[in-house]
Order: sequence, then C-alpha cells, then structure tokens
Amino acid sequence: MTTLSVTINGKAYGPREVRDELSMNDFLREYLGMTGTKFGCGAAQCLSCAIIVDNRDGSSYTSPTCIVPAINFNGKSIRTVEGHAKNGELTALQKAFIEHFAFQCGYCTAGFLNESQVLLERLAKKRIARADLDKTIGEALDGHLCRCTGYVKYHEAVRAVILADPGRYLS
Amino acid sequence: MKLSSWVQLFVAVVALPVGALTAYAVSGGPSDGLASVESFSSIADTTARSAAIFTELGKVLTHPRCLNCHPAGDRPRQGDVSRLHQPPVERGPDGYGLPAMRCPICHQGANYDPAGMPGNAIWHLAPREMGWEGKTLAEICAQIKDPARNGNRSPHDLIEHIGDDHLVGWAWAPGYGRRPVPGTQKQARALVEAWVNTGSACPN
Repeated sequence: MTTLSVTINGKAYGPREVRDELSMNDFLREYLGMTGTKFGCGAAQCLSCAIIVDNRDGSSYTSPTCIVPAINFNGKSIRTVEGHAKNGELTALQKAFIEHFAFQCGYCTAGFLNESQVLLERLAKKRIARADLDKTIGEALDGHLCRCTGYVKYHEAVRAVILADPGRYLS
Repeated sequence: MKLSSWVQLFVAVVALPVGALTAYAVSGGPSDGLASVESFSSIADTTARSAAIFTELGKVLTHPRCLNCHPAGDRPRQGDVSRLHQPPVERGPDGYGLPAMRCPICHQGANYDPAGMPGNAIWHLAPREMGWEGKTLAEICAQIKDPARNGNRSPHDLIEHIGDDHLVGWAWAPGYGRRPVPGTQKQARALVEAWVNTGSACPN
C-alpha cells in the first residue's frame, strides 16, 4: 500500500492508501467513478485510456493509464476528459469534434480529445508553418486507434480549430 | 513380482534423477547460466581463451532482453521472438521516442507486472551505431570494441557498462512473463573484465 495524492482537473484527491499494483485507469474508473477515461486494450496500444499530465514548467504530455500504476502519478497534476468543459461550456475542440462528427461510439474520444488538447497547447507556445500542419496533426494523433470513424473527421476537427485561429497556432 | 525385482526397479527409479542432479552439479548450475571465468583457464592460448570468453558473453549480448533494444533500425523489438514493438514506436531524435510516444511514458521507473510492462528509469533505445541486430558474434565483437560504434567507450567503460549499468542490469530482472538473460550481471561483469584483460580477442 502506498499513499497517493493527485490533482485531477484542478481538484486535489487524497492522500489515500492504494494498492501498489493498482493501475491509474482502475483508480480513476473504479475508485473515483470517473469513467470518461476508457479501458481499451490494456497494453497502451489503443490509447483510449490516455490522460493529460501537466508538468510544473507548464508543458504537458499524454500518458496511458492502463499500464501505469496509480502511485506513479503521486504528486502530479492531471487532466481527464471530464475536466475540459467549464461550467457546462464545451471547449472549442469539443465543439469541433461534434460539428465535424468526429466520433461515433465515443470509446476512443477521450484519448483523442486529450491528445488534441496537448497539441493545441504546444502549438500555442511554439507555432508551426501552415505547410507542416497536416503532418503535425498526424504525428500527434498517431497511435490513437479508432474502430469506427477512419480518423479523418478527428483530423478535420483539430485542423478546423487551428485554422480558425491561425495567428495563435501558425507562423 | 519378486522382491529382488522390486529392489532393482526401485534403484532404477531413484538413480535416474540422482544422476541428473549430479550432472547438474558438475555443470556448475542451470543450463541458462554463464560459465565462470575460471572454467576457461584450461585454454592455454591467451587469444583463444579471450575469444572463448567473448563467445560465452555472447549469450548475454545476443539474448532478446539485450538485442530488442539494440536494433538495426529505428524500431525496438519485443518478446523472446523479437517481433517489432507494438505499439509501433520509433527511436526519435534522442532514442527516447517520438514526441507523442516517448518511451518513459509507458515504460515507467520499474517493472509493472500487473500489465506485464517492463520498466527502468532511463528506458530508451541504444544509439543506432550501437545496434547489432542481425550481426554475427564476430561482428558484434568488432563493433563493441570500436569507440566510434560503442558510445566512445574504453575497455574499462565497457566493463562498467555491462557490469554495473542499471538499465543493462534490468535484463536480469525483466519482470513477469520475460525470460531473464543467462547468469547474473556480476558474472557478466567478470566475463567482460576477463575478456578485456586477455586482449579483447574476437571469435572468428
């Protein structure tokens, strides 16, 4: 047993004792009832379980939760799909996902949303050339598996958000 | 059955495993161990002895636990069959993966056995020039001695890398479902040391 304290979507959870072998995915879904993060393959291949980890330096990255122990997130600040909308207001990215019909069953959507959000935040800090946009989106979302949509609509949604505010994301 | 026949049968049944255990003891350990440095002392010629020691060390260097992260290309391999790593990750600019799939994101600081996930604090690929997938033992030997292809390591550095490095050491404690490298890291260190001290000769 190890003590776990973690900030999730801006709210502190813990300290609480958890089993050393408890996965972060199980902690979120079974302990906290935050079932927006999915369990897909259990092998970090589909990335439907991916959440955002916020570093102290302001950068962020996504991490699978199915193969990472919960205690490895001790002291960290993370964001899940439940934390995107504020006061019922969807983010521009979430609205774009809906407008572009980017998801169908929704099982992979949390992972795509988190990955896309990290991409947007990265581009806001370091813009890229318009010519590199599609390649950048492709590389960022690479690895997330979807069995329903064929991926195109996800890419279109993310591209639309970026192109709607080119001064912020593109050089 | 006569009593004498039962005795003969009993002796035969007992003798077989005892004989096997005796052979085990003579061999110095399980068949997946490493031979001791002393066991090569019967080879009088120093160069031949050195090459023989490297051949023994080859059991470590060519084992999947080592080979999988010393690939010829930019993709690691996994498993005892050394299949291409799934998910399809790549080396990236620094050996720690591409921006969206950094090795340490999944491979955490220690093995996570509930998910069968190996881990180490500095999990990453060996540099491309240190890849020896598909090479013969002689080729690996030449490569491992070449500072341009061994991370600019001196012979002493090689002893430390194989003998003391904790990521290399992971290979002997790879976690659930994975076959460890033969012997122990301490035994491997002794072999590297003996190989270096006998002139670092390469097998043919």
